[in-house]
Amino acid sequence: MGYKIGLDLGSTAIKMVLVKNNEIAWSRKVPTAPGQEALALELVKGAVSECGLKESDIDQIAATGYGKKLMSAAGHTVDEISANAQGLHWLSEGRCRTIINIGGQDLKVINLNENGRIADFKMNDKCAAGTGRFFEQAARILDTPLESFGEMSKLADEPLELNSTCVVFAESEIVSLLAKGVPKERIIKGLHHSVARRITHLLGNRNTPKSGDIYLDGGPSQNPGLLEALEDELLMEVKVLPNPQFTVAFGATLSLN
Amino acid sequence: MNNTQQDDREGRIKKKIFDRFEDETAQEIKNLKSRPDFSPELEYFVDLLAAGRDPATISERTGRPVVALMCLQAPLELFHVFGLQPFKIFGGAMVSQRLSAPQLPAIMCPMLRSALGELQLDLAGQKGQRFLAWVAPTTCDWVVKIQDMMEVCGIKEKPPFHRLELPHMKDRDESQERWLEEVYLLKNFLSQLTGQKKIKRQALANSMSLYQKSWHVFSKLIDLKRIGLVPELWFMVISNSFFFDDVEKWTTAVEKALLTFKTKNESPDIFLAGSPIFFPNLKMLHLLEEAGLNVSMDDLCSSERIFPGAVYFDDVSEHGLLKALAQRYHQGCLCPTFADNDRRINNIIAPAHKDLFKGVVFHVLKGCHPFDLESLTLESRLKDQGLKFIKLETDYTSEDSQTLLTRLEAYRSALTN
Repeated sequence: MGYKIGLDLGSTAIKMVLVKNNEIAWSRKVPTAPGQEALALELVKGAVSECGLKESDIDQIAATGYGKKLMSAAGHTVDEISANAQGLHWLSEGRCRTIINIGGQDLKVINLNENGRIADFKMNDKCAAGTGRFFEQAARILDTPLESFGEMSKLADEPLELNSTCVVFAESEIVSLLAKGVPKERIIKGLHHSVARRITHLLGNRNTPKSGDIYLDGGPSQNPGLLEALEDELLMEVKVLPNPQFTVAFGATLSLN
Repeated sequence: MNNTQQDDREGRIKKKIFDRFEDETAQEIKNLKSRPDFSPELEYFVDLLAAGRDPATISERTGRPVVALMCLQAPLELFHVFGLQPFKIFGGAMVSQRLSAPQLPAIMCPMLRSALGELQLDLAGQKGQRFLAWVAPTTCDWVVKIQDMMEVCGIKEKPPFHRLELPHMKDRDESQERWLEEVYLLKNFLSQLTGQKKIKRQALANSMSLYQKSWHVFSKLIDLKRIGLVPELWFMVISNSFFFDDVEKWTTAVEKALLTFKTKNESPDIFLAGSPIFFPNLKMLHLLEEAGLNVSMDDLCSSERIFPGAVYFDDVSEHGLLKALAQRYHQGCLCPTFADNDRRINNIIAPAHKDLFKGVVFHVLKGCHPFDLESLTLESRLKDQGLKFIKLETDYTSEDSQTLLTRLEAYRSALTN
């Protein structure tokens, strides 16, 4: 008894957390595919089974993300911006004032007030530039696993100046650079900086917190190369919590309170 | 491909887009008529929009030849006194852009791109009657260049085209004098067009009185909207249909409709600002409703701004009446193409301080540069005063509905915190 489930049905991955007393007891993600509700229910079954629970131990399910309305088993839905705000406010113990969230297909900057409520937010327009999809595409063109980006980025002295964060144009630019023999490390470092600049523009001076901390979350926040580039562009410290891709799903469970 | 084959291909493309255009319109009509708050009093407005916007249909309904009007700064009373029906050109259908887009810049006002596509369908030609003339106040760049764009799109409308040079510094006396000259030039143009050498002063006063009454009734509808009784969707349907019928008939229908709105919307009130919204593209209004936000005020030129406000006059000479019209249509206009447009921003900030709404939703159509630019000043001034603001950029497509809804839902959370 007393367990809650938070499901974040995103554009590229479905993330789930099992929570008891506002602590994450179990978490997992699977790639988004047709039949999102069935995939999410599989995750729920997996959590129940692996944690030795019965389905009746689950009190409530909250869904968030683009696919939240597909989840008929969820008794409660919340928009992902509010869920993100609540999740990070709790997990940062109230220190967070700005969230930079990099999702599969969007970028968000969320400003919080001292109570963890949304003070303001900005999102990119309908373009995958600088999002998780952009990194996936770059990894494919570079024939390099995304997990290696952080380490490879550190090997480059100077980032290469990349002109485009557009998924389509960046592809031709990267192909052209590879053809010229530019080392992958420099290209990757350049990619991190170009995305960091895009985030900095979205953040703007107005949204830069005057107090409190900036946190980066979403899948790409696990890339230390991107974090370093972002701190370099912002000239500010940016924090990342453990398991940053589950913040939104966790925040959804807090909205049940 | 020879010329016959090319003509045949173009004909088939137009037919295909026309069919989809009809489907898109029919779908929105169905949406409106299936709403639980649809009532017989609203049927008149929905049917006007459904019946089409070609000059033959409107002329038959109003008994007046129809003049196409690009923007709202030209005094409508002048058209009326010359026995003409002004019709504001707009494009609301997403699908009609497909015809015009290949000839036009990639980033341009989607509303006009849609309007141009619709003109390419040549509904007017099919019904055997074109607009008697075109009148275009020089507002934004897209409107200034509309005649050129019509030409490159191969639009068959070739009636007389009259531009009114709009002074963009409206608070200068010189601008007022200049605009009065333009109103006189419009009068001369309409005189030549209709062959009426003179207008009777009393007839002009009567036309002004009709529009004054219409504005008065419309103001009552606005008052009901302010207290949450009129959903913005219905408000938009009513105001969008303004040019489709004789002003007296439309006013009578609005008067009847006032009685139909009885249920108060308890959702958080917002001010909707920015680019205009036209039937059948009511996407943004559906999304606002879905997100649980109620529009209690707006400053859209397709909605609350279809009238410039009440026209007052002391001097009852023809010159006095024309001067009163010129002043009201120029100074009362809040179009962002004006350089000195602080009044528009103050009109949003002042009621915010009186708690008449909780936040501003700024709707920008991609390529609508004047509104986009003005949103920056507004955002800065509102946020400096601790007021909530969100800008939503969109175009004539439904694919961004989910991301827009996410933002609106989060905005609602921010407003209710």
